[in-house]
Amino acid sequence: MAAKDFLDEIRADPELGGIYEEARAALESAADSEALEGVRVAYLGRKGRLSVLLQGIKRLEPEEKRRVGRLGNLLKGWLEKALADKGGLLRIGEMEEALRREEVDITLPGRAFPAGTRHLLSSIIEEIEDIFIGMGYRLVEGPEVELDYYNFEALNTPAWHPSKSLSDTFYVDVPGSGSDDVLLRTQTSPVQVRVMEATPPPLYVIAPGKAYRRDVPDATHSPMFHQVEGLAVDEGITLGDLKGTLEHFTRRMFGEERDVRFRPHFFPFTEPSAEVDVSCNICGGSGCRVCKGTGWLEILGAGMVDPNVFGYVGYDPEEVSGFAFGMGVERIALLKYGVPDIRYFFDNDLRLLRQY
Amino acid sequence: MRVSLEWLAEYVDLPASAHDLAEMLNGSGTAVEAVEEIGEGFEAFVVGRVLEVKAHPSADRLSLCRVDLGGEVADIVCGAPNVRPGMLSPVAPPGSRLPDGTRISEATIRGVASRGMLLSEKELGISEEADGIMVLEEGAKAGARLSDVLAARDTVLDLEITPNRPDCLSMLGIAREVAALTGQKVKSPEFALREEGAPAADAVRVDIEDGDLCSRYAARVIEEVGIHASPWWMRRRLQAAGVRPISNVVDVTNYVMLETGQPLHAFDLDLVKDGHIIVRRAANGEAMTTLDGVERRLARDDLLICDPSGPVALAGVMGGEHTEVSASTTRILLESAHFDPANIMRTARLQELPSEASYRFERGVDPGGCVRAADRAAFLMQELAGGTVRPGAVDARARIIEPVSLVLRVRRTAAIIGADIGGEEMASYLRSIELEAEMVKEDGGEDTIRVTVPTFRPDLEREIDLVEEVARLYGYGRIAPTLPRSSHNIGSLTPQQGKRREVARILAGMGLHEAICHAFISPRWLEILDPDRQCLPSAPVILRNPISEEMSVMRPLLLPGLLEAVRYNLNRQVAGLLFFEMGRTFVPRAREKLPEEAQKLGCALAARWLPKQWHRDAEDVDFFAAKGILERLMSSLRVTSWDLRREGFPFLHPAQSCAVSIRDRDVGFLGLVHPRVAAAADVPPNTAVLEIALDPLIAAALEPLPYEEIPRYPSIQMDLAVVVDGGVDAGEVEDVIWEAGGELLREVRLFDLYRGDQLGEGEKSLAFSLSFYALDRTLRDDEVRSVYEGIIAKLAGGLGARLR
Repeated sequence: MAAKDFLDEIRADPELGGIYEEARAALESAADSEALEGVRVAYLGRKGRLSVLLQGIKRLEPEEKRRVGRLGNLLKGWLEKALADKGGLLRIGEMEEALRREEVDITLPGRAFPAGTRHLLSSIIEEIEDIFIGMGYRLVEGPEVELDYYNFEALNTPAWHPSKSLSDTFYVDVPGSGSDDVLLRTQTSPVQVRVMEATPPPLYVIAPGKAYRRDVPDATHSPMFHQVEGLAVDEGITLGDLKGTLEHFTRRMFGEERDVRFRPHFFPFTEPSAEVDVSCNICGGSGCRVCKGTGWLEILGAGMVDPNVFGYVGYDPEEVSGFAFGMGVERIALLKYGVPDIRYFFDNDLRLLRQY
Repeated sequence: MRVSLEWLAEYVDLPASAHDLAEMLNGSGTAVEAVEEIGEGFEAFVVGRVLEVKAHPSADRLSLCRVDLGGEVADIVCGAPNVRPGMLSPVAPPGSRLPDGTRISEATIRGVASRGMLLSEKELGISEEADGIMVLEEGAKAGARLSDVLAARDTVLDLEITPNRPDCLSMLGIAREVAALTGQKVKSPEFALREEGAPAADAVRVDIEDGDLCSRYAARVIEEVGIHASPWWMRRRLQAAGVRPISNVVDVTNYVMLETGQPLHAFDLDLVKDGHIIVRRAANGEAMTTLDGVERRLARDDLLICDPSGPVALAGVMGGEHTEVSASTTRILLESAHFDPANIMRTARLQELPSEASYRFERGVDPGGCVRAADRAAFLMQELAGGTVRPGAVDARARIIEPVSLVLRVRRTAAIIGADIGGEEMASYLRSIELEAEMVKEDGGEDTIRVTVPTFRPDLEREIDLVEEVARLYGYGRIAPTLPRSSHNIGSLTPQQGKRREVARILAGMGLHEAICHAFISPRWLEILDPDRQCLPSAPVILRNPISEEMSVMRPLLLPGLLEAVRYNLNRQVAGLLFFEMGRTFVPRAREKLPEEAQKLGCALAARWLPKQWHRDAEDVDFFAAKGILERLMSSLRVTSWDLRREGFPFLHPAQSCAVSIRDRDVGFLGLVHPRVAAAADVPPNTAVLEIALDPLIAAALEPLPYEEIPRYPSIQMDLAVVVDGGVDAGEVEDVIWEAGGELLREVRLFDLYRGDQLGEGEKSLAFSLSFYALDRTLRDDEVRSVYEGIIAKLAGGLGARLR
């Protein structure tokens, strides 16, 4: 039987119809769960009108008892459902209202989990390391307090070379050692000699680390700085291999669109030697103040390992050849990030550290 | 090396643009550092004749000049001391602009109107310095444009000459490079020397006593010279090269040095006793006064040029004052010699006397070019100083340095370069730089090139030196980029290197900032940190030649740099002073030349740990901030075998410091800095520090981790609050709990510490949360309860603890 049919029957009954109409109006006007509960109690509570009515049917004639009982129960069912439906609606509204009251000011700062930082130079060193690891290189290290032999002599630097003077190189007194050939390495290149002494070829290594020169600090000089040294020794290594390796590195580091240029140069421990320039990112190569009008920025020194160096470490230059390169980390940082003064790197100013 | 293109063009045809020339030189190994234009805009200046010079009415140093500018006479105020009536000088009229950009306008100087400016060579940009206004040569007309009477237009390239290329420290050497790159031959200067009178050998005698330091000493004699200023063209070229003109004779020596690379020296022959030159080592302590008026004390290794009465020059470095050419000089002894490069470098450095001459000698001049340079200079003295040149040069040679012969293997050269260059092509490159190169084809063997290297290229001693010449003249730009074809290269970080990166990331992840501090510190730090040298070395590693005392000791700890970082930021009101550094410390080792370089990790935390926020109060740094960092680092690295032990350190707070150990080995310290240190270092009193050796940390972090079974049965949590005497450490209580807890106890966490009214005097309450579980079954309450009771009993018995 359709709902409408029994509602029509209920409406036709004066007493049940009255209850129905009143209950419907009460339901409609119930504004919250509490009022709705009042409606339920008023009709379905132990003393509710419908409950009382249904309790009273046992006193009716059998036929009337059946009719009123059936319609009364249908009405009860209808009312229970209507109460549930209305209750659901009211609860949704009430919950929405309650949640609205929990609104927060989303513009307040979040709870602090203050971030730390890696030093820009460390990040750049890792970036350089990763590019070369990708090309098959391993990382090696050597001492910062070094012997003249490794820093100069075995790197084919003549005893009278100006870079060895007291005005260019820090010499070190190590108490108890009594020697005057101990210095702060002026480059990471001595690691080349140490690693070749310790390891037979082939060799593909890079050596990042600190180096020291007796420069009075200014915007472009620091008595302590960082270099990354590279060395590849194998059968048949060519100057072309050096070029390809450093072109790949330079573009990875500075951008695939950058041009790379190799210029002949001189270093005591490589021959042929080269300086490597990358096209200026400020002016795009047309010349500006940063590149001093040349369109190029010097970033690397490199060359084929001098046969004399192989002689010092017992490699046979007729059997193997190799290339070596070295780059200044601070210089790369200055160029890549536009930091105007090398001294900033060692001030440890948090306002700089937090930028990178 | 500053190269005037106007001058260079005398020896070789130049490309149309300076830019092209610069590119060419860059590509062949002569780096162009700057390109400078000289004499630009001289059309705007005019020639003025000074008619009258009067004193300025209100300024002593200024003069009031009436200057004829051709059509008009202008009043110009001038500050130069050399202004005289009748002289011709360049004038910048109002509206013109000086090479440095200064705009000249009509001005009133100390109450007197000045219409323009009389110019010095410095203001014209043709000289580095000037003593007064420029004096133009007679013959120019007042009012003429300066550009029409003064040939000043030039482009100067500033070249970086690498130390292996002494030949390029000369105009002819650069010309040789340009000629090789453009397929030309160098046009050497041609001159006809007219020799007159008795042979030079009648007037001069040369004895080389120390032939190891001087292979050759050539002398010429030029007489009847008149000393005056050099002509404009020579002065201008010298100035373009950065050399100050002095007088014709001295200028000629400099000019020929710049032209040929051979340094020359002119003595006043009348002041050289007996005309007798002796080249010998100095006696220890021997003294001489050089041209600059400085008396110099010399030693056995310094080489001297002497006459029979004593030194007349410090060989290759500077002439002596006594024999200097002066205005009254008429007879010149011209020296053109070859000295040992290393020796000249030593003397020039010891005497702190770098000069254009020593610069060239120490890199190596051409021993074969001495006489020709002397001839060239004699010719110019003849031309410019009216000198008569005695026939012949006195050419003393202690030994003859012969050209070097080398063999270049063609296939090997191509293999090193990695380019397919033929033997003939290689030979042609070598010939282009004036080497003799002869192809030798060997049957069945490798083609070779026999090369004879002229003495002006002392850098070419080995085959590889020639390979470099071939490569640079072929052009690095033409070499195809390749990668090594090796299968031997497998790139990776070692596990240790990987962990080291991880340590840095963990610390940065905790909010610490990585610092990089100088490895050299002030000795003051040692006094501040450890005045009695209880734990720092009494004799640290020090620099023998520091830049300053502030940077003279190699750090034995990272601590000083980190405290400096704290102070630096504090002084700038920057908050969040949480630093770490990973770096090396330096400590001498017995009987070792090199110190121990230990990789350390240091942290310094100061002032605020967390700032005040809208939902919570600020947190200040204390001992437990540093301890928390260490705990978190250890747990992130999965290191369990570490411990702290109460221990004093002279730089740490005596009651808040401890030693850190890993696997029972002490690796460093942790604590609050000592108030004495905080005050001296100017850091907050609540500065907590931590410094440990990295290698043992990383070794522990690399220990393999065994699998620990995950519990499948529910655990039982119980809280335990006990009251103990204030002197009992929480750790002691925890140790007892673990000991008594047996295998069912799995976790102990201290969550509360209370001292106060509810407890007795000197007591404290510690509350722990305990967690029990078994791997094979669900625990029963009664068995946990009995363990719990056991713990309480042990605590009561061992530590006098009672339940709270």
